[in-house]
Amino acid sequence: MTTPVAEVQSPARSAVPRWTAGALLAAALLLLPFTVSSFWIRIATEVLLWAGLAQSWNIIGGYTGYLSFGHGAFFGLGAYVTGIGMTVLGWPFAVGLVVSGVLAAALAAAIGYPTLRLRGAYFAIATWAFGEMLRQAATVLEVTGGAFGMRLPAFLNLPFFYYVTLGVSTLVYLTTYLLLERSPFGYKLLAIREHEEAAEMVGVNTVAVKVNAFALSAFFPGVLGGIYAYWLTYIHPDSVLGGIITDLMVVMVFLGGMGTFWGPLLGAFLVQLVSRSLWLVWGESTLYLVIIGAAICIVVLFMPGGIVGLLEGRRAPLLAPRAAWRWWRERVRW
Amino acid sequence: MELFLQTLIDGALIGGLIIVVGVGFSLCFGVMHIVDFAVGEWVMLGAYTAYWLVRYLGQDPMVYLPLIFALFFAAGWLVYPLIYRAVSGRRHHPALMGLVFTFGLSTLAKGGALSAWGYHVRSVSTWLSGQSVSLGVTTLPALRLAGFVFGVLTTVLFMVFLYGTRMGVSIRATAQDRETAALLGVDVRRVGELVYATYAGLTGMTGVLIGALFSIHAAMGAKYVIFAFFVVVLAGMGYVPGVIVAGLILGLIQSFVGVYISGRYTLFALFLLMYLSLLVAPKGILRRGL
Repeated sequence: MTTPVAEVQSPARSAVPRWTAGALLAAALLLLPFTVSSFWIRIATEVLLWAGLAQSWNIIGGYTGYLSFGHGAFFGLGAYVTGIGMTVLGWPFAVGLVVSGVLAAALAAAIGYPTLRLRGAYFAIATWAFGEMLRQAATVLEVTGGAFGMRLPAFLNLPFFYYVTLGVSTLVYLTTYLLLERSPFGYKLLAIREHEEAAEMVGVNTVAVKVNAFALSAFFPGVLGGIYAYWLTYIHPDSVLGGIITDLMVVMVFLGGMGTFWGPLLGAFLVQLVSRSLWLVWGESTLYLVIIGAAICIVVLFMPGGIVGLLEGRRAPLLAPRAAWRWWRERVRW
Repeated sequence: MELFLQTLIDGALIGGLIIVVGVGFSLCFGVMHIVDFAVGEWVMLGAYTAYWLVRYLGQDPMVYLPLIFALFFAAGWLVYPLIYRAVSGRRHHPALMGLVFTFGLSTLAKGGALSAWGYHVRSVSTWLSGQSVSLGVTTLPALRLAGFVFGVLTTVLFMVFLYGTRMGVSIRATAQDRETAALLGVDVRRVGELVYATYAGLTGMTGVLIGALFSIHAAMGAKYVIFAFFVVVLAGMGYVPGVIVAGLILGLIQSFVGVYISGRYTLFALFLLMYLSLLVAPKGILRRGL
């Protein structure tokens, strides 16, 4: 959770090292494709993609406190819209991306308007049902190629996709930072999450704010879905609309820390690392679902604040075993 | 005309089964404010339990209904403390945590079933399979009729329990106002425990009949999650009598869309209706939801 008081005090102390670290990180990210093999570029692109998706989910799930269990639908929608735009309608890639994002946001607003007026449970249900429906639509419709999926024009240029994904994901984090961490809009969302009736009492137009947040959180998955489709050049309902996409966004945000700025990035990095390592050992397996499900349950039960929540406050006394154990017991809820 | 009648009756019969799932699901929401995303997985696990029991012990799956109720009651009893922990007041966003927790449970159960039993489609048959009852104008498949009778009986028994016993009064009181019920001496934790265990038992048992009527596979749960959602949204969350109306509507939609349009469009029809219902009647079509 964000504690504005602590943040107000800290910048003066560590402004210079923070800027240096940021510049170094940016340089490393920009130069990465020149230094590593294509295998690692691919992995890095995936991590960036998921980091963007997780942060998008965090906007509505973490900051606003409304869980969207159908967020994968916007990703899939973007993939299909870009695919259809490029193959059937002959759009350039960039146009496809913009249209994907706008369409995803518009649909989100349409679903959000009736459901966000109600309790969170209705919203969770409606988004979940929407995701299932969209998957069935992609399987049934002709323009999407049905269950066999569709092909996009091939463009085999890994660094290109790396930079595009880097750009969009950076935009997601920048938007989150400016709009949610540093603006009245973000405080309105926090107020809604912490006490919706009170927020309404002090004059926040809660429905409008929530619908805006949901549209914003759907826009980026739409764009990222478009990038993903063009990158892989072949999409089918299970690959871009499968329930696993939503599952992964949820587990990444919860593992990293719900409603925190860095949580989704951390979660995406860790989950992607684990899942890729497992993939190297096992290949495709349904056991991932078991692991994801168990991870969600364990995080909810024992560390509801996620990793960022654990690390908040005092540093872990890593070198003294007894103190470390006590530190750990204080934070993990038994 | 005959097709129309057949479709109508078919729909009503399926609706009878959906009601059982819907009643438990709705009550769970009323009492514990938990939307159980694992509802479809309870159905799936019930169907699989029946399949394996029949496979290794023989006999008719109907024989195992009480045993499966007992097994799933116990399973619900064991899972409940975890759910209670997830939503307990010590943490920041209890409702959120409950939702995510059952979502995780459902992913876990689905993944476990897929890993253990793969994507094969299995089926069980009962002594009623293939038989039919003639009604003059039309014939009814005996198994569907049995499913309907089971659904109605279970729902009636459950209603009698809810409206006729002391425990039932506590449950309804908790659903209406948790804090006041607790102040008046209702042990809300035990009530929740009982409701969740009963709900799991009923849903598992319904899974046996659903498995016998249709087919059994590890990913079958998703469909019933949507059905349960649809029913409670139409009925109004937590309003149990509305479930009966909504369950019948769902059965009819499913069979009419399946016969006159195509089974592939059932989900569209359901989603559209759910959306419209949320838009114009967010408290359910009877306007009595929470």
